[in-house]
Amino acid sequence: MNLDTATGRNKGIEPGIERPGRKNGRKFIYLSLAPVLLLFGVFAFLPIGWSLGLSVFKYNPLSGSALFVGADNYIRMLGDSVFLKSLWVTFKFVIIAVMVNIIITLMIAVAIQRIRSGWLRSLMRTLFFLPTIAPLAGTAIVWSTMFNFNHGLFNILLDKMHMAPIQWLSDPHYALYSVIMMTLWADIGYNIVLFIAGLDSIPEMYYEAAILDGASRWHIFKDITLPLLRRSMLFISVTTVVSYFQAFAQFQIMTKGEPFNETRVLALHIYEQAFSNSNMGYASAMATVFLMIILVVTLLQLKWGRTEWEY
Amino acid sequence: MHRRNKWLDGLIMLVLIVAACAMLLPYAWMVLSSLKSNMEIVSGSHTFLPSKASLEGYRTVLVDAPFGRWLMNSAVTSIVITAATLFTSALAGYIFAKHQFKGQKLLFILILATMMIPFQVIMIPTYLITAKLGLVNQLMAIILPNLVSSYGVFLAKQFIEDIPQDLLDAARMDGAGELRLMVRIIAPLILTMLSALGIFTFMNSWNNYLWPLIILNDESKMTVPLALVYFNGTHMVNYNVVMSAAVLITLPVIAVFLIFQKQFIKGLTMTGMK
Repeated sequence: MNLDTATGRNKGIEPGIERPGRKNGRKFIYLSLAPVLLLFGVFAFLPIGWSLGLSVFKYNPLSGSALFVGADNYIRMLGDSVFLKSLWVTFKFVIIAVMVNIIITLMIAVAIQRIRSGWLRSLMRTLFFLPTIAPLAGTAIVWSTMFNFNHGLFNILLDKMHMAPIQWLSDPHYALYSVIMMTLWADIGYNIVLFIAGLDSIPEMYYEAAILDGASRWHIFKDITLPLLRRSMLFISVTTVVSYFQAFAQFQIMTKGEPFNETRVLALHIYEQAFSNSNMGYASAMATVFLMIILVVTLLQLKWGRTEWEY
Repeated sequence: MHRRNKWLDGLIMLVLIVAACAMLLPYAWMVLSSLKSNMEIVSGSHTFLPSKASLEGYRTVLVDAPFGRWLMNSAVTSIVITAATLFTSALAGYIFAKHQFKGQKLLFILILATMMIPFQVIMIPTYLITAKLGLVNQLMAIILPNLVSSYGVFLAKQFIEDIPQDLLDAARMDGAGELRLMVRIIAPLILTMLSALGIFTFMNSWNNYLWPLIILNDESKMTVPLALVYFNGTHMVNYNVVMSAAVLITLPVIAVFLIFQKQFIKGLTMTGMK
């Protein structure tokens, strides 16, 4: 399209002047695209293909032996109780964390947007956004001391309220929820900012019309705010789901998948299989399944989001 | 909204303030714990406030650990990655937006497709490739795979497409070369987008944990987040030391954020980038 307009505009110019420019253009394209494409090739395209290839081998990087095993790695997964458990834990984590995240962030965004004084509004937004910029690894370390059984903040607080201390990170009933709590603290700021932007883009006149019609607050929220936020909602839920599927640092640092694999999410399990146990073939097969899960979940979300949007 | 309910507004405000205080609690905990003395921790401290403020933790971090080195490693890698990503994204974005060549569409779709791939899926081959290149345990291994960004190329293409063709043609007729055109005309027009991309690229590489964890194991080569975790492993008991390190790492991040806050928020809502 752009070429058409370009040549159209150049009609009046003598071909003799145009040609060298065109040639330089070609040279420019190839010279500048080559290194960029080389990097994409080596560190993006090649690894994807390699990963798929590796998934049909039994490969140990230490001995350097690669044995073709066909679909064995995939079949092995079906009978691997740790893998199945980690699949379950991953879904549990993603579903709970995403739902709680969206509910909390939407409520906070609505509340912040109602604040009338400008500086207070931006102060609140800043407070909630602040944790998102710190390294998650650092946050995980600070939170593990807060969860510590003997001297951690949470047990100090429980003690103050005369309640029994809790093994936050090593009780199978609490561990996953503790990690979810930390994860939410660390990144609700993003979605709050995105929701506020979504709320800001709703034209004031819809609200005015609804108020004239005597609609209640709840009806205004349910029938005007929520439907008009659908685009923000779709974007936020897709990106949050994808990023929570990949949550790694908090699990690797805070729980290492313990107790009883209750917090062994797939991202951690793949990492440990590949780099602690040197089962790179099997880990690649799990990575392929991981990719498929994320793709399918994303497509489903887009599909559901689309149909509801048209309604 | 005209019809305002005073009680409800007050209640919402109260809940919001309580939530905001809860958000601040971990920072308070971090700072107060960093001020506890070794003695207090060994004797079993069970309080929120330190009994007596002490700077022992900070002294241990600054004297016993190569703290400056870690900051340096993170700064160098993040700056190189950010500068390179901005350059390669703008360049490739310009070519995809304003030039035509064979296989352009397919190539662009391929680059877009890599955006969907989680790092966990490609980390094993990326490790093997980096090892083949002989870069294990070198800062170059952090930099090299991150010099290009598919999302950056996508963003740059979107924004450069909006630049009128006439403007570029006029500059070309004045004899401007392609590179000059990019630096002088295109870059200033997409500055907002570039600064957003720059902020988030820098932040992501500064905060990156998984890739350094895989590829670096030498204490002196570590970047900040990895070093903090490693340090945590060696000072398990004296959490005042670890908290001091955490404070020292968090403070500059917060300062930088407060300075660039507007661009941060604008960039986030403009690009949806995390």
